Amino acid sequence: MSHAVHGPNWPARLALGLLATVALTLSVALAVTIGEMKIPLDVALRALGNGLFGLDWPVGAIQQGVIFDYRLSRALMAGLCGGALALSGAILQALLRNPLAEPYILGISAGASTGAVAVLILGVGGAAVTVSAGAFVGSCIALAVVALLAAGAGGASDRVILAGVATSQLFNAATATIVTTLASAEQARGVMFWLLGNFGGVRWPDLWIATPVALIGFAICMLHAKALDAFAFGADAAASLGVAVTRVRVVLFIVTAVMTAIMVSIVGTVGFVGLIIPHAARFLVGSGHARLLPACLVGGAIFMILADIVSRTLIPQQILPIGVVTALFGAPAFAIILYRARRPAS
Amino acid sequence: MTLATREARWGVGGRMIVDGITLEAKPGRVLGLIGPNGSGKSSLLRLLCRLRNVASGVILLNGRDIAEVGRKELARRLAFVEQQATTEVQLSVCDVVRLGRTPHRAALASWSEADEHAVEQALERVGLGERHEQHWHTLSGGERQRVHIARALAQEPSELILDEPTNHLDIQHQLAILSLIRRLGVTCIVALHDLNLAAMFCDEIALLQGGRLLAAGSPDTVLTEETIQAVFGVAVSIRTGASGRRHIEYLMASGDGAAD
Repeated sequence: MSHAVHGPNWPARLALGLLATVALTLSVALAVTIGEMKIPLDVALRALGNGLFGLDWPVGAIQQGVIFDYRLSRALMAGLCGGALALSGAILQALLRNPLAEPYILGISAGASTGAVAVLILGVGGAAVTVSAGAFVGSCIALAVVALLAAGAGGASDRVILAGVATSQLFNAATATIVTTLASAEQARGVMFWLLGNFGGVRWPDLWIATPVALIGFAICMLHAKALDAFAFGADAAASLGVAVTRVRVVLFIVTAVMTAIMVSIVGTVGFVGLIIPHAARFLVGSGHARLLPACLVGGAIFMILADIVSRTLIPQQILPIGVVTALFGAPAFAIILYRARRPAS
Repeated sequence: MTLATREARWGVGGRMIVDGITLEAKPGRVLGLIGPNGSGKSSLLRLLCRLRNVASGVILLNGRDIAEVGRKELARRLAFVEQQATTEVQLSVCDVVRLGRTPHRAALASWSEADEHAVEQALERVGLGERHEQHWHTLSGGERQRVHIARALAQEPSELILDEPTNHLDIQHQLAILSLIRRLGVTCIVALHDLNLAAMFCDEIALLQGGRLLAAGSPDTVLTEETIQAVFGVAVSIRTGASGRRHIEYLMASGDGAAD
């Protein structure tokens, strides 16, 4: 018989991996060279060489700073953030069996921002608790609230989104309450800008946290790729295929909560990436998670880097919040997925 | 010896759904579970494959308590076909059957010859050998059920547990699915709604009511006019059909017919 064998097709995998690397490198290169200050490509390359390998090529100090400390760190952070959020979306969609699940829509991002704001403005926990830790606690509480609401409403997979909307509203209200009643005018302005997503404040130390979180998170997800496939027909079907359903759920929910929390604490809430990238990736590589998860990581990274370039350059002299750019693409995509999901499966 | 239960009990919210059932399947034979709605058939099946844990009593697989068998090991031994399980994920027939290899594969293992062979064989056995690439969403109810059975066979189980596999199928597909199950040669435990189908295709029948086992044995001994009248509340007349199996005819209670 001559049907496709889905076994390891090394040349194809290698080609895909190479393509992904090239596309990723190109988008970082774009992000580093495009901006308000016109910097020629050769200068940019020299600045990168100086910064990455400790070389001593002649580059102006300002140009060096703009390229290496500002644009490169920003582009890498955008990539990590996009990759981690897309990965979280793919995981949540598989575990909850709902095509609309993602950290933003389920209120996990909102929970993380409430946690972060609580630490920033209320000073919860004093100096011992970092903003990231606050965000993590917030996202875990949000996830627990969603799970409880959804289970209380009968546990059907369509209830999860309703529970997410309610949770999202609840935590956004909590954040707004904290900001309006307790923050100074200046704090409030800063928080509001940050809440919509902003890569402007990103510096290298942020990457030392975000990089391991995204990469270890990705590795843990990959170890569970086969288990995620087994969830296609529901939790009981997965369990009867030998998947330790409770353990897999707990581990992967924590991974998504940590990834979301760290990204939110650094760049704010960025919506819809976790929704559209997994769906786009499924079109390209199919729904098997062993391929879908890497595709989400790379696709999310490229999308976010490009979205960040758009946010910096769309309006001259002004930076749009990144959440605005992703929502401009994401909201129509959400509508399309909603429309397709409505079609009765026959 | 294969699957057996000893005084198995399970319930929710203080109500016993499965209330002390002791039952044993015979190797290579088809055991049918029958009983009215809510008699505990589905719950008992879920206890048998450890999707739920017994509150008391024990489920034995080859004499070993299944609570002590690892989930993965259990899935290599025991396969479960749910009632009408479907998905929103875009999957082909082959993708679904491949899921059956999950318990045989390590987390990062790649697809092996043995895996491919098991999938091919399973598809052949259910008569879908030429339909690998067809999309799940384009299949009819009967075809989906056959794909699920193929997925279960790809697990290479020695016991197959099926929860009303013929529900919502037309009669031709009901007969096709059940004759397929009979031909498989693995030990099958199958919940069935239709008493005539149970009589036709099962070697043994267990009759459940209110979570208790009322009778177990050959169709001839279990399916009597008195028990059916008592358990299902309908009057029947039983005779031997053309196939030599029992045939149950439902009698209209006097007065019912005139009302319509």
